[in-house]
Amino acid sequence: MTRAAVLRDFQDRFREDILDFFDKSPKRAYFEINPDALVPAATYIFRDLGARFHIASGVDARTHLEILYHFSIETMNLLISLRVKLDRENPKVDSLANVIKGANWIEREIHELLGIDFPGHPELRRLLLADEWPEGVYPLRQDYQEWDKKAVRDRGV
Amino acid sequence: MSVTLKALLKSPWVFHLATGSCNNCDIEILDCLTPRFDIERFGMKLAGSIRHADVLLVTGSCNRKSMVRVKSIYEQQVPKPCVVVAVGECSMSRGMFVHSYNCPMPLDKYIPVDVYIPGCPPKPEAIIAGVVKLIEKLKGTP
Repeated sequence: MTRAAVLRDFQDRFREDILDFFDKSPKRAYFEINPDALVPAATYIFRDLGARFHIASGVDARTHLEILYHFSIETMNLLISLRVKLDRENPKVDSLANVIKGANWIEREIHELLGIDFPGHPELRRLLLADEWPEGVYPLRQDYQEWDKKAVRDRGV
Repeated sequence: MSVTLKALLKSPWVFHLATGSCNNCDIEILDCLTPRFDIERFGMKLAGSIRHADVLLVTGSCNRKSMVRVKSIYEQQVPKPCVVVAVGECSMSRGMFVHSYNCPMPLDKYIPVDVYIPGCPPKPEAIIAGVVKLIEKLKGTP
């Protein structure tokens, strides 16, 4: 399939769930997708189109939280990013870890750093943060406040 | 001068401890071992195990997870007397990570530091000069 055919086919399959499409360059395409339809859309890209899952990146965009799932189809030199926008109050999106093994750790990392919940994840333990880190404090949120009373924030000069 | 201190200064064995650095300081420390700088002519040797070390060269920005390990290494595993050398901007004041959520305190708030070698990364000459100054200070000869 050509690049145009792949993108058109994807748009036809998930017509109701694609909220926005941004054709950035010959190498990149962005789909904003309904969070409920993330798992079938990602499964289709991963299994049927034979794409590679690179990474997911979480962003706090102040008005909402969003996750970008980056897939690449190497035979046609195309990078497809699926964007889901999540509510700040109760951010939640279904886990991809059961379909894509490589999504397991990055979902754990996004869970602890941005506080996004992934229902269906096999074990949503902490990945990187220290043991003494308090529950419910997410360091990559824009409204993160210093919680450690012992922290020294000057250079001592 | 005690016998242990004299033995330590004759040939200090250095252990290289990275606490989450960008590895530039680590590369400069490895440069010290190359024939161009060759710290073995001062008797210094890179020790493979912490149990053999007399000098701890600490690089990196002292993050929460690694400092638990550094504390246990300093308090329980290094044979005393042991001197601690902070190499690079990160281990002294945390450099650009001073406001990072994961780097709450500089190295000298956790363990006593004897020599600070500034630079980002410090040149091998600076590292050698720092350690030589430390040895002279411990010997008592200026």
